[in-house]
Amino acid sequence: MSENTTLEIRDLHVSVEGREILRGVNLTVRQGEVHALMGPNGSGKSTLAGVIMGRPGYVITGGDVLLDGESILRLTPDKRARLGLFLAFQYPVEVPGVSVVNFLRSAYNAVKNTDGDDENRMPALAFRKLMKEKMAMVGVDDDMVRRYVNQGFSGGEKKRMETLQLAVLEPAIAILDETDSGLDIDALKAVAAGINQLSGPNLGLLLITHYQRILDYVTPDHVHVLMGGRIVRSGGPDLARELEAKGYEGLRAELGIEAEGDEAEPERATT
Amino acid sequence: MADTLTTTSGFSRASLPAPTGQPAFVTALRERALEAFEALPVPSPETEEWRYTDLTGFELDFQPFAEGGGPEAVNRHGLLAAAGVSGERAGLQIQRNSEVISTQLGATATEPGVILSDLDEAASKHPDLVERYLHSLVPADRSRFTALHAAFRTGGTFVYVPKDVRLELPLQTLTYLDADGAAVFPHTVLVAEEGAEVTFIDRFASPDLDRALSNAIIEIHAGPNSKVRYVCLQEWGHGVTHLSVQRAHVDRDAEVRTLVVTLGASLSRSEAETVLEGDRGTSEMLGMYFGDGDQHFDHRSIQDHIGNETASDLLYKGALRDSSRAVYTGTVIIEKDAHRVDAYQTNRNVLLSDRAKADSVPNLEILTNDPVRCGHAASVGPVDENALFYLQSRGIPHAEAERLIVYGFFREVLDRIALAEVREGLERAIEAELEG
Repeated sequence: MSENTTLEIRDLHVSVEGREILRGVNLTVRQGEVHALMGPNGSGKSTLAGVIMGRPGYVITGGDVLLDGESILRLTPDKRARLGLFLAFQYPVEVPGVSVVNFLRSAYNAVKNTDGDDENRMPALAFRKLMKEKMAMVGVDDDMVRRYVNQGFSGGEKKRMETLQLAVLEPAIAILDETDSGLDIDALKAVAAGINQLSGPNLGLLLITHYQRILDYVTPDHVHVLMGGRIVRSGGPDLARELEAKGYEGLRAELGIEAEGDEAEPERATT
Repeated sequence: MADTLTTTSGFSRASLPAPTGQPAFVTALRERALEAFEALPVPSPETEEWRYTDLTGFELDFQPFAEGGGPEAVNRHGLLAAAGVSGERAGLQIQRNSEVISTQLGATATEPGVILSDLDEAASKHPDLVERYLHSLVPADRSRFTALHAAFRTGGTFVYVPKDVRLELPLQTLTYLDADGAAVFPHTVLVAEEGAEVTFIDRFASPDLDRALSNAIIEIHAGPNSKVRYVCLQEWGHGVTHLSVQRAHVDRDAEVRTLVVTLGASLSRSEAETVLEGDRGTSEMLGMYFGDGDQHFDHRSIQDHIGNETASDLLYKGALRDSSRAVYTGTVIIEKDAHRVDAYQTNRNVLLSDRAKADSVPNLEILTNDPVRCGHAASVGPVDENALFYLQSRGIPHAEAERLIVYGFFREVLDRIALAEVREGLERAIEAELEG
């Protein structure tokens, strides 16, 4: 990993089941920067997150995603993770029968020990110690890490578990996909506190969100608005507040953009 | 019809076993069974019962008897390693091929009346007791194969735990087969009298062979208020055909927990049945299988509820690699006069290759008008793609992610296995299967 890892999304076009979702996205996130990507439902936010991490099911029809100048689109998700990318899932997946501890140890060894030599795997005891530190940092207790991955977890617990993984794996660039969704205010504060603990010069963050409210707790350096598969406006933290005031509808009207598909407001979607 | 295709020359009246001291009832049983064997048809794949396992062309040209080699054979052939005994035992019996070669009942099982014995020897020493139970749950004429078993069985295990005796440590029989071309007839009769507690492990192991037959019967009698755990570990080598019928009778307030593990043999058919006759009897039936190569597994189960407030819970889980094949057929029967019954049945299969195939066939036969709590679930499918992506997104390579998920898939069964050494042994076995 270089000293200052850069994720560059270059004129990215992506289709899902024959429908174009991303229509030329350009975005650059450097290690140490905090970017917020905002957009209404259906604007392509989660598609972008999925494509960057290599989720199956997308057809890339144009453009590229580069990490330190090298295209990563042909790499498997695990290789992308080992290059320093991380995706906090909007809907973390249950993995029955796999304990959080074992899962995280496998992930840690995969990410940190990229030569794959078993001898370099971190011993169980040393890993426990590291886990303890990170658990304290993001507010996860012993009981939670002994349970099976995300199984029976509340919405807040799932999001805290994603934050714990972020803390343990120490990626260069992390995409947090709607980490604030479905959380009550206390859970949101707890998750935001975790993110703030982790952010710093070694972490580039792309916070994907529908609402401005997480940005009350995590201050972005840059804010981007995604609509109709394109970034229609970029700015500083003020843009989030502006958007909160006028709504996506207001911005759409201002920019003269037609809403379409899922992105349309419910009352318009019927037409 | 298909009988003409089947060579049975080795299995004739002349070759019926006659161990020393064989009581008259066993001699008569063998003769009746031989007649039944000759009269019964080869099970037809036209019938529901044998729909998935076609044995019409299966040649019975096996040697009816293969020597065990006496007690000194215990220390050869890697027998003890194959016994997989990692913990303490209340008793251990070893059968090699057709003969029991060693029986040891330990110091912890010295309560008067506890029996762990060669079934033939038990029949000779305790004829009344053995006559009461032998083939009482699985009659000789149930099928052509059970008849063959009843006629030609040698060796086998008789376990008897008297009233209120609780054995903390497990008893085990290892049946080891290394005679190519032989047929063996493992038979376990396990009797727990009222209030007794016992754990018994049946382990079947062999090297890879060209061809051999294991035709097994397990009969479990759980007396009133008894607790019985029965574990069957089928780890035959390639080339073995394993046909087994296991049936448990559960008396009032008794608890029977069975675990069927199928890892070995080329073709393995295991029928496991629990009859909950007494009121408030409970039954847990667990199953685990992992197929590879061209293995064929046919698991069948019956949960038969006769008594009131009886409860049964079945969970079978299997993974299939390469071009292996599994079918599970489970039947829950709630008899006419059974009230307040709980019955659950779950079978899940994970396919690790495009060529692997599994079927799951649940059946419910509810004959009572009483409301019953009864549920069943079945699934067959590849490894969950979302879980794979999730693990891979954390840096875990595809193959390791799949191993973790499949290992986790079996956790649900492993977590319910009380005996630590059995659980740990299975964890190692699953890891080995996953390493391929």
